[in-house]
Amino acid sequence: MTPDARLEVRDLPLPLRNTTGQRILRAPWEWAALGAILLAASGHLIIKLGLAHAVSTALPGPILGRILHYALNPVVLAGLAVYGTGTLLWIYAVSQRSISFLYPITALNYVIVATGGKFLFGEAVSQGRWAGIGIVVLGVTLMQFSGQEEKRK
Amino acid sequence: MSASAALWLSIILGSCAQVFLKRGVTPSGYSSSEQRSYLSLLRSPWFWAWAFSFVIATGLWLLAVARIPVSYAFPMLSTGYVIVAVLSILLLKERVPAMRWIAILVITIGVVVISRN
Repeated sequence: MTPDARLEVRDLPLPLRNTTGQRILRAPWEWAALGAILLAASGHLIIKLGLAHAVSTALPGPILGRILHYALNPVVLAGLAVYGTGTLLWIYAVSQRSISFLYPITALNYVIVATGGKFLFGEAVSQGRWAGIGIVVLGVTLMQFSGQEEKRK
Repeated sequence: MSASAALWLSIILGSCAQVFLKRGVTPSGYSSSEQRSYLSLLRSPWFWAWAFSFVIATGLWLLAVARIPVSYAFPMLSTGYVIVAVLSILLLKERVPAMRWIAILVITIGVVVISRN
């Protein structure tokens, strides 16, 4: 299946190609996967921040109007944009590696949220939770040794 | 629908969504070396299956955590790692080495420990 070359250039390419269809950027899947997880976690956090503000400024009225009010909040929109960018990166990562490899490492999300909460908002992280974070990181490290069959140069 | 039914349906549908996406970005099978552009993905039924399952799974998840403690619901999400691994073997013919099963087990234990503390 050969896609139309002109369409290929006009598209947001996966990965980026020049006019002759050659790849001009090889985004390493490692960074794509980590970036996707980081952006998804940040997106959720920003959406939550924006919703807290939108709810406090909502006017009484029909439910659809209120949903629109929440969705059009600039902070919520920014969060959605961050989350959407993360999704594009995730699609790229999925195109590069086995899904049985990638999906479990999304557990790093919990690690990012816990450490982000600690360092950004000074939230307390219990010793048991640190232990859990360590175990997840250990598991993700073990995953790196679970076969490279689909990794591309 | 009971809250735990919503939770399980959400986890299963969310796992299927990832497998659909993987199928969608590898148009001629798992061994394909050809790449698809983002816009051409919009023509793939697998892409739409992913998007649809993802939205329904997210809605069911919100429905579930409204009535189930998050500390219980979150570790349940890790069963999705196992479901995805099994589906990837059956439907995508992915190879899942022993080390990957061990890694999935360790990550799942970590998630359970995080949500119990």
